[in-house]
Formats: sequence, structure tokens, C-alpha cells
Amino acid sequence: MRVLVVEDEKKTASFVRKALQAESFAVDVMANGDDALHAATHTPFDAIVLDIMLPGRDGLSVLRQLRERKNTTPVLLLSARGEVNERVEGLNLGADDYLPKPFELAELVARVRALTRRGGENKPIVLCVADLTLDTITHKARRNETEIELTIREYRLLEFLMRSAGRPCGRMMILEKVWDYDFDPGTNLVDVYIRRLREKIDANFEPKLLHTVRGSGYVLKVTP
Amino acid sequence: MKIRTRLTWWYAGILIVSLLVMGVGTFREISEQLRHEHRNRAEGHALDEAGEMIFQIGLPAVVLGLLGGWWLTRRALAPVTKLTDAVEKIHEKNLSEKIPRTHNGDELDRLTEMFNAMTARLDDSFQRIREFTLHASHELKTPLTVLCGEIETALRDESHSPAERERLLSQLDEVRRLSKIVDGLTLLAKADAGQIALKLEPLRLDELLRDIFADAQILAEPHGVQVELITCEEISVRGDRHRLRQLLLNLADNAVKYNQPQGGIIMSLMKSGNMAQLTIANTGAGIPPEVLPRVFDRFFRGDPAHESTIEGCGLGLSIAQWIVSAHNGTIQIESEPSKLTTVTVRLPLDTSAKPA
Repeated sequence: MRVLVVEDEKKTASFVRKALQAESFAVDVMANGDDALHAATHTPFDAIVLDIMLPGRDGLSVLRQLRERKNTTPVLLLSARGEVNERVEGLNLGADDYLPKPFELAELVARVRALTRRGGENKPIVLCVADLTLDTITHKARRNETEIELTIREYRLLEFLMRSAGRPCGRMMILEKVWDYDFDPGTNLVDVYIRRLREKIDANFEPKLLHTVRGSGYVLKVTP
Repeated sequence: MKIRTRLTWWYAGILIVSLLVMGVGTFREISEQLRHEHRNRAEGHALDEAGEMIFQIGLPAVVLGLLGGWWLTRRALAPVTKLTDAVEKIHEKNLSEKIPRTHNGDELDRLTEMFNAMTARLDDSFQRIREFTLHASHELKTPLTVLCGEIETALRDESHSPAERERLLSQLDEVRRLSKIVDGLTLLAKADAGQIALKLEPLRLDELLRDIFADAQILAEPHGVQVELITCEEISVRGDRHRLRQLLLNLADNAVKYNQPQGGIIMSLMKSGNMAQLTIANTGAGIPPEVLPRVFDRFFRGDPAHESTIEGCGLGLSIAQWIVSAHNGTIQIESEPSKLTTVTVRLPLDTSAKPA
């Protein structure tokens, strides 16, 4: 997997590169829009992390050019402005995801991982992790043949975690996908829901599936 | 006493004194003449006649004079009244609006001109402060991103001792808190500068409230707090979905955070005239009356003792207030300490919505 990181702020570029390399991504770093556009059109990348504010050609313009050239590489936009309109504009231009600064590294890594898997992922009707199954049509969850009652929100949270099974999911990402919040509500809503979900799917069963990744979020997998 | 009334009294006084002087003078003159003309007549009769003449001419003169004076002062001071009304309407948001001038070059026109110049200077200063806050909050984001990233990178290094990791995690928490403050500050700075456009659409406020009610129950459960939704009428408003959810969640979260263990929260939504009236009441310690007017101020914390135990950026209610006023609504808090603290939000109903 090869990722292009376009970021002119050297320190940010450096730790983003390190974090992605730690996840076994090959990482190219570019510091301006023109170089990035050139690189992206000549090298096949699996994902592009693109800062909006860049010297010379800005991120949105790079994105527009890429999409005009029928380049469909998944793009994650980064922005220090964090404006709602900017997010909408970016997504309309064909970005696949948007992360406002300051962001958490784990959040960024999780999103890049999600982007690189997006293409080839088929969507099974019944999701399955160890002996936990979730039927996406009937909304029924079962663990070890025991049926588990879920509220709508719990169902959506579990579905999201199961679809991203094995990959840590940041709080912001969960809020965005499950609650449709594009702002940080400054509450521990996610943590409280996770605790409830844990009581339902993990409390009476072994092995435990829902794990906390300290400093970054939650992950659903068999081994911690 | 108004200047107009004062001037009228003064004027009336002067008028009466001068009329008296004139009256006495004329009385003497006339009676002298009359005495010459009718030497044989009784003196008293001449005096009566003179008095009557003066009275008949003098009284209407006094009345006319008084009315004229009143009209004159009123007319002279009308521009002052107008200026006062215009000045009364000025607040920090419309400083750029000018008070209309007469351009006739009189003292009041000059006063208006000076006043406009002063508000222009004030507007400029406010503008600078707003820009400063906006730039500051933007500038803070890059170093915060770097700080957050560096700490997270350090945490990935397995060679750190548990104590060192603990320290890094606590630093990360502080950086996150700082990020939240900067986020809130950016939002408010942009709102002040009029840079946030709401995405208005017809919304079912009752559905939003039911969602938040479900979230509030979950948030309240660990504290043993009971949440009730007593009335929830079907109500449509025109609003920005994300912002209104942010508002409701913020209010619900406050009701949980500032509650007492085993306390209660009561939510309701109903129509009140042409407004939707939403209340969220909690049984927390409440807000002392002396700090109540300041709860919407930025970074205002009622009780310093609470500060360390309750997490938050200190901007929640300021943001709530902005969201409500951006929707042309009102928000108010009433509190009976140790009994019930009620937040009431009123939003205009969506009149374009078809009755269901």
C-alpha cells in the first residue's frame, strides 16, 4: 500500500509519515500542490492525504484537477480552517473523507486504512466476528446462539465497529459515522455507548471482543 | 426633568415677568390718560376699565406665548430625541450603521457627525479584536496538531516505562482539551465575524429532541440521573440540523454534568404562540442569582470549585446562545438554587410547513 502525503508543515508531515510507515504503508511526502499533482498523475497511489492550505496550488485545486483527469485515488482532506462549507465543498469535489486540524494521529491512520480498503470491500449481509454475528437486514445480533437486544443507536455503532473489525476507530470517526455529528460535541457519548455495548456483547461471553485502544479509540477484534 | 419641560418653565417665567412689567407700565399709562380725559369720573371706574383692557389683551397673549414656547422647544429639541432613539439602537453588532445626518450644519448635525465618527472608530476596534481572535485560533491549530502528533508518536514507542506513558497520556488529554477550546473559539470568532452560513432546512424539532433524549438517558445512566420527556409536540422549524443538534446535546450534557447523583432531568417541547418552546430542567445545585446574568459569557465559570471536576471548554453556553440567536430565537436560564434549573429555548415555528 502506497500513500501520498501532501503537507507543507514539516513536523506534521514527518509524524504523519512515521505513523503511516509504522502501519506498513509506503509513504511519499510532497510539500506543494504542483508537485503533488504531478506525482499523483504519474504514480498509482492507494490513497492521498491532502492538506488544503498549501503554497502555490491549494489542496482543493489539486483535488479538482485529479478528478477532472479521471483519477479516482481515495483522497483524505486535511484542513486547519475546519469550516462546514469547506468540508461540503471538498466532498462535492470528490474527496472521500475530511479531517479538521488539530487531528489525532490515530484518527488519521484509521481513516487512511478505511480509505485503502474501501475499494475492494464487499458488503456482506451478515457480519461476523468470532461467534458474534449481526444481521444487517433484521438488525439482530447473536453471540454464541444467544440473541442480543440492541437499540437503533447501539445497532449502528456495532455495525460500524464490525465493518471496521480489526481496525481501531477514533471517537471523531465514530461520532461522524454513527451519530452524523460533524463537530466534537465535547461529551463522552461514545464512551458511554461503548460501555453499554460491551455489557451486551462481552459481559457474559468469552473471548472479549470490544477493546479500548488508549489514546485513540476502540477496536473490535478477537485478540486485544 | 426633561430639557424641554425645563426650557418651557423658564420661558413661561420670563414671559410672565415681562408681561407683568409691561402690564404694570401700561396700566399706569392708561389710567393716567383716562384720568386726564374724565376728570369728573370716579377714579375707581377708570382703574377697572384699564385693568379689564389689559386682562383682555394680556391673557390671550400669555396663553399664545406659552403654547408658542412649548412648540418652539419641542421643535428645537426634536433632533435630539431622534438622535437619542438612534443611539439607543446601537450595539456591538451594528456599529457600522450610520445615524442619518441633516447636513444643515447646526450644532446637532455636528454632534451626529462626531457620534458617527466615534462608532466608526469603535467598529474598527471591534473588527480588529474579532480578526485577532480568528487569526489566533487558526494559528494555534498547526502547533496543536504537531503537539498532538508528537505525543501520539511517542506513545507508539514501546520502550517507554508505564510511568512515562502515563505522563504522555495525561499530556495528550490536556492537548485535546486545548484543541476543544480552540475549536470553540474558532467557531465563535467566525460567528462574530459573520462567516458562518447556516444551512437552513425544514426540520422536525420533536424528532431531534427524541434523539437527544435517547442520548441523554445514556449519558445520565452512570450518574443514576433519571431523564424524562414529559411533552413532545410535533413541531417544525427552519434550522440547521447540525447546529441544532449541537445545541440540544450541549444543553442535555450540561443538565447531566451539573446534576447531582440520583437527580432528575425533565425535557419538554411545545408550541407557545408562534414559537417552539423547548425546556430542559435539571435538579442540580443550580446557579446563584448574582452569576445568572453572566452564564452565557465566554469562559465564565460560576463555581470555581467545580472547575476541576467538570470537564468542558467553558464555551458551551456561549455557543448555545449563538446557535439560538442565529435561528432568531431566544435562550434563557432560570434557577432556584438546589431545586430546579431550567433552560428555555424559543425558536420561531416554520410557517411554510404544511400542517400534518
